[in-house]
Amino acid sequence: MIAVDGTLKRRLGVWLLATVGVLGAFLLVEAYTSAQRAANRAYDSQLEAAGLTVAEAIQWQDGQPIVEMPAAAFQILATDQQERVFYAILDAAGREVTGNLDGAVTPAWQRAAKAGPVWMTVSYHGTSIRLHGRELTSAGWESLDPVQIWVGHTLSGREALAGDLFERTLTRFLAMVLVAALLMLLAIRTALAPVRRLRQSLRQRDADDVRPLHAQVPGELYDMAETLNALFARQREGRDALLRFTADASHQLRTPLAGLQSTSELALQSEQPDEWRHALETVHASAARTSRLAGQLLSLARLRHASEGTRDTLDLSAVLRDTLMEWAERDAAQHHDLGLAPLPAEPVRIQGESWSLREMIGNLIDNALRYTPPGSEITLELERHPGSVTLSIEDSGPGVSDELLGRLHQPFERGGRQDTQGSGLGLAIVDSIARRHDAALEARNTPGHGLWVGVHFPLSAETN
Amino acid sequence: MRFRWPFGLLLACLLPLTAQAQARTPLVVEAALDRQVIAPLLTAFEHAYPDIALYYHDRSTLEVDRRAREVHPAPDVVISSAMPWQLARVNEGLAQPLTSPAARHWPQWAKWRNEVFGFTFEPIVTVYRLDLARYMKPPATHADLQAILTTQQARLNGRVTTYSPSRSGVGYTLFQQDARYSPRFWDLVAAMGAAEVSLEDNTQAMLDGLSDGKYWVSYNLLGSYAMYWAQTHPEVIVQVPQDYALVMMRMAFVHRDAPHPMAAKAFVDFLLGVEGQRILAGSTPLFSVLPEVIGPYTAQRLRDQVGERLYPIPINASLLAFVDPLRREAFMARWRREISILEDGD
Repeated sequence: MIAVDGTLKRRLGVWLLATVGVLGAFLLVEAYTSAQRAANRAYDSQLEAAGLTVAEAIQWQDGQPIVEMPAAAFQILATDQQERVFYAILDAAGREVTGNLDGAVTPAWQRAAKAGPVWMTVSYHGTSIRLHGRELTSAGWESLDPVQIWVGHTLSGREALAGDLFERTLTRFLAMVLVAALLMLLAIRTALAPVRRLRQSLRQRDADDVRPLHAQVPGELYDMAETLNALFARQREGRDALLRFTADASHQLRTPLAGLQSTSELALQSEQPDEWRHALETVHASAARTSRLAGQLLSLARLRHASEGTRDTLDLSAVLRDTLMEWAERDAAQHHDLGLAPLPAEPVRIQGESWSLREMIGNLIDNALRYTPPGSEITLELERHPGSVTLSIEDSGPGVSDELLGRLHQPFERGGRQDTQGSGLGLAIVDSIARRHDAALEARNTPGHGLWVGVHFPLSAETN
Repeated sequence: MRFRWPFGLLLACLLPLTAQAQARTPLVVEAALDRQVIAPLLTAFEHAYPDIALYYHDRSTLEVDRRAREVHPAPDVVISSAMPWQLARVNEGLAQPLTSPAARHWPQWAKWRNEVFGFTFEPIVTVYRLDLARYMKPPATHADLQAILTTQQARLNGRVTTYSPSRSGVGYTLFQQDARYSPRFWDLVAAMGAAEVSLEDNTQAMLDGLSDGKYWVSYNLLGSYAMYWAQTHPEVIVQVPQDYALVMMRMAFVHRDAPHPMAAKAFVDFLLGVEGQRILAGSTPLFSVLPEVIGPYTAQRLRDQVGERLYPIPINASLLAFVDPLRREAFMARWRREISILEDGD
């Protein structure tokens, strides 16, 4: 059964989303911090400008720094965002000479500013402000004491600028994601086009069309197309085999039927009861053969198409012995020397169907009886190997030409012989049964003897 | 039963009154703005918001500033003409922003941070007594004033008055702004010093002196009060200086800790709204800032009359420089030096 497990589009989409998500998160974090850095740089330089403007206005009088705070410094500090502004001018002792910071500049900050200009974001009465401090070494007439200038403002301008910068990056990023998604959709469509083409070409095929596919497919689909072609090839073979079998079967059935017709016609033209009787005997024998042929055809068709039967663990030695005993008593076996090589001491256990194994052994014996001259030796043997067991039958008949060996298991193949009463189905039935038991059929000529046919069974796990 | 119903009636009469009084939201406005000048607007506000009980306190700029900083509970709305102090309080974070349409559409140059709004447009004027015109050409510019102070020193001696920069925040701001525009301002200070200038605390005192005949010429008065006064006192002439005229704006903000913020915002909104501005333009001499308002007292009309030489004191962070203690000290030191510089020479 074919179950739909998501779509390729969705899978690719999810991966795209994951990729964009992870990359995007990194990118946006980076964009956010860099936007803040940029905004801080821009506004920090304004703090510096304001600090320098104040520094310019510092003068000394009576050993005290005095400064006429320049109005411009406040405007620079406030920026166009109208920030709240903070400032303090500290003398060498750290006292606030003037300002509105209420002594918020700690001694630690003052020490930091002594080393060089500093910028810091601090909390002042619950409001975050950015402070800039610089020390000014004075060159007055009376004093050489340093003065510290601290200026600061609230952060709304920085936040607005950073937000603006970030928003722009975000917009660009989203646009990029959108374009990437569209391109990805296009890519998915393009990438899946061969699949669609393959599907269409499959869909347009006739039900009984088993020719190989002719399609241009990408490397990833080659295996699948090849597998399909192999499947078609097997179907083709199966169909051909079926047609051949049907044709052969019809042919095989027609021959005895034609014989029956001609015998009965001849008998009808005759007035001699003796000839009638003779004809009747011929008809009887022929009908028996035809019936047996039909039975074998039926059994072969059943074996080929029947579903797996139930398998039991059984002893192959016992099956072989019983079947041989049964056959040895039949009339057909009276003119041959039917023998059994010594069986293995231990039971040979395999998984199998009792009835079909009997059928198989019977066919092997029947085959040997039919295709060897009377008086031939026929020997059955069971040989154990590691992991497998071989059931074989060897005769002292004329053997089979090498080119035919490979075709022996095909239906209606009589080993190049037309002189027997065999239907040519025996080994085909053996082959089918062997396949049902995962066993392999092998046939070879043995020098000095006749034909050797073996069936290699895999051993069941227990026996191993 | 006979005695009960009058009592019940009395109760019925009283109940709605007390209930109404309880339901009304109080609103405390601390303002450095004469109540009689702003009265039409207050009346209109009370009419428009009957559920707000307005407590309007008219005080000096320094007192308003002190109350904004120190008094608990804080006032709801603070109005003052001492612009640097108002801005310093906002810079300290004592104001809360307004987001109403009126506040957002208020001209950019007349507000700061959407927290403090200059809602009047009052030119700073020179006022002289009619008597002066009999003896000399009345001063139309700052230079004219300095000239007559120098040339007519004997006649004007003791008859000159202006703001005290030490006692009046408005006066100090105006002088600072004058000094920013021209270094010759100090010559004017020296000339006033030589004429033994009297320093007053407020415009009204100067106007009273002019009407009494005590003063003949008065420098840097609030035009709003002066024009209002001149309507009923024909002996005083109001002159908007022709070279440059400063413009002072009353600044209003809603206090951060306002106990009744909704009422406070409603009040400031009313000040900034078209209706309030129309009352300012029509019924008070405070001059409306909004260009779309029409009336006898509008910034636009004033510009039409005196030209483009109106210099509003900018509402921005540079005002903070004026309240810097060191700068104030330096300014006062210079003021004291300049005002007596010519006396020593005599």
